Amino acid sequence: MNQATATPTDSDQPIPNVDLSTKLGRLALPNPIMVASGTFGYAREMQEVVDVSKLGGVLPKTITAEPRVGNAPWRTVETTGGLLNAIGLDNDGVDAFCEHHLPYLVTLNTPIVVSVAGRTEDDFVSLAQLVGQLGVAAVELNLSCPNVSGGIDFGTNASSCHDVVAAARKACPVPILAKLTPNVTRIAEIAKAAQEGGADAVCLINTVLAMAVDWKKRKPILGNGMGGLSGPAIKPIALRCVHQVASAVDIPIIGIGGIANIDDVMQFLVTGASAVQIGTANYYDPTLSTRLVDQLPAALAEINASSVSDVIRTLQV
Amino acid sequence: MSDPNTADCDSNLHASYYADGMQQVETELVENEQIAQSTYRLRVAAPTIAARAVPGQFVMIRLAGVNAPLIGRALAIYDIVNNDQGDPTWVDLVYLQKGAFTTPCSQSPVGTPVSLWGPLGNGFDPRPCDRLIMAVGGIGQTPMLLLGREANGAQAFGRPNGWAKDVELIYGARNEGLLAGVDDFRQAGFDVQLCTDDGSAGQQALVPAILEQRLQEIGDTASVRVVTCGPEIMMEKVAECCQKHHVDCQVSMETPMACGIGICFSCVAKVKQADGNWDYKRTCVEGPIFDAGKIDWS
Ligand SMILES: Cc1cc2nc3c(=O)[nH]c(=O)nc-3n(C[C@H](O)[C@H](O)[C@H](O)COP(=O)(O)OP(=O)(O)OC[C@H]3O[C@@H](n4cnc5c(N)ncnc54)[C@H](O)[C@@H]3O)c2cc1C
Ligand SMILES: Cc1cc2nc3c(=O)[nH]c(=O)nc-3n(C[C@H](O)[C@H](O)[C@H](O)COP(=O)(O)O)c2cc1C
Ligand code: FES
Repeated sequence: MNQATATPTDSDQPIPNVDLSTKLGRLALPNPIMVASGTFGYAREMQEVVDVSKLGGVLPKTITAEPRVGNAPWRTVETTGGLLNAIGLDNDGVDAFCEHHLPYLVTLNTPIVVSVAGRTEDDFVSLAQLVGQLGVAAVELNLSCPNVSGGIDFGTNASSCHDVVAAARKACPVPILAKLTPNVTRIAEIAKAAQEGGADAVCLINTVLAMAVDWKKRKPILGNGMGGLSGPAIKPIALRCVHQVASAVDIPIIGIGGIANIDDVMQFLVTGASAVQIGTANYYDPTLSTRLVDQLPAALAEINASSVSDVIRTLQV
Repeated sequence: MSDPNTADCDSNLHASYYADGMQQVETELVENEQIAQSTYRLRVAAPTIAARAVPGQFVMIRLAGVNAPLIGRALAIYDIVNNDQGDPTWVDLVYLQKGAFTTPCSQSPVGTPVSLWGPLGNGFDPRPCDRLIMAVGGIGQTPMLLLGREANGAQAFGRPNGWAKDVELIYGARNEGLLAGVDDFRQAGFDVQLCTDDGSAGQQALVPAILEQRLQEIGDTASVRVVTCGPEIMMEKVAECCQKHHVDCQVSMETPMACGIGICFSCVAKVKQADGNWDYKRTCVEGPIFDAGKIDWS
């Protein structure tokens, strides 16, 4: 496999005997290293790049009821330590997804969490109901994409967040994860609403609303004007959100935002995440996700932890 | 379900294409020298990439371990160099010093750690012809050394070579100083025609105009093929000229990329579909080489 060339020493070290499994409500994962929606294609693209079966879970790109062509280029632009994107949920639509991608995804021998997005509560509910019956491990409600205008913003209003989660939970037989946006004044309130609506876990954060400008042309660089910032630049924001939410809710948290190495993973676990998702780093270090799985036992052993659950929410403040 | 390896380019399904066989390699610069004005050639040892690449493919490269720039840059594979045993070992890339990656890279000494992954993209289709004309401008010459050598039979890449009788390069730049690697192309046996915006080398003309001139001279263009790489406006003009003369033409698109492996959906270009509409296609996995007639330049 490719990761052997990337870090040849990893496999030479004795692997400490630690329990990597983690539990998020009704969802049990073999380890806490997942990959984030929109940063791993439909997983098939990555089949020759990493051993997908080693991952704690895989999230294919968010699907919507209808296919979407996405936004005009430029769709991404690099900023200091980060990446700004306005892809616009370019996706094949749920029918093509169920017909062509899901049959392959469910053979991967790793938990598949399908990310869905809609403009209305009904959209979310019918998508969750449909994919929830098709052998997936969980459904993630993308309540937070900054690039799709028109719909009600379920991630910024506590009562609509509560209602969409509750309705999806009722309709969908598998665990429901609520993915939240940092672009709110008090993220803990939104997380509480998701908890009360019956979410099995909350995932934070999606990208941070941001902008890049070409001053000579007097124009935004992204075709869509504004976009979402991701990558190492947002990691401190994500950690702050995980901390605030961990202090306010009991349900498990999946930490997302700028994770690029094993230290980042451990910071999220200690701060309050029961699992993490690797996003932008998949773009610039494609074999990172599975290397992190390899590196996790040694990192846990460094603080004398014998399981992942030993370290979750152990931050002392 | 369609087989990802055989599905044709009209498929609307994103995951029909992927970076099959790409390898991520952590290595270091073994050479990094200036070869023309603002233009550098770097060499890295990457046997797993070198052994699989075909002409027109590219790699993503970044300075290892730094967060600025964060995202890899796509560079066409310029040359593949064998070791003493004849095994493909080194990958050469040629780049124009321009911005966030290429500027620090141009100042990086031998031994600087780099991370690269590839080979990526589809590569040129080796369709046999009497005369292959490679029409390039700016830094668009970079994929053509390997392609021309494959076409004239000088080098092979695990697929048929020697599929063109004559190989011609029309190479334009703003001025003489920016022309990079001309000796490499001449040594490879290509018929090289240069042009510059200011007349400092070759004809003072634009690449599409020289191509037009050549196609008129050739007259019977039935067995001519054109490939083009460079500024989009130049490629559009080259494509127009080929269409007029009913000449088969392939373009190498350079849309901005973030991953190179099909997972970010940054690199889309408007590609015409069988039904007459267009769709955004990821150039990193469904390209970067497209039949010119398929590109919607609007
Ligand atoms: C398939 C492919 C093959 C390539 N092969 C080569 C090659 O062989 N040699 C080479 O020098 N370059 C090549 N490029 C371009 C290369 O990827 C970088 O974009 C270029 O080197 C500039 O990078 P930088 O970090 O120095 O500049 P940046 O700081 O990224 O950009 C400098 C300026 O160029 C603009 N810019 C950046 N990327 C693009 C783009 N794709 N199209 C239009 N404007 C852009 C930016 O907005 C900025 O104004 C290739 C690109 C692709 C997609
Ligand atoms: C190009 C791009 C596309 C994304 N697409 C999606 C998406 O379709 N659905 C989603 O829930 N999140 C999407 N995200 C957000 C990521 O899943 C993640 O929440 C965010 O990027 C922060 O993590 P990171 O800093 O590790 O990338 C996308 C991010 C990027 C950079
Ligand atoms: S560059 Fe990421 S999909 Fe093409």
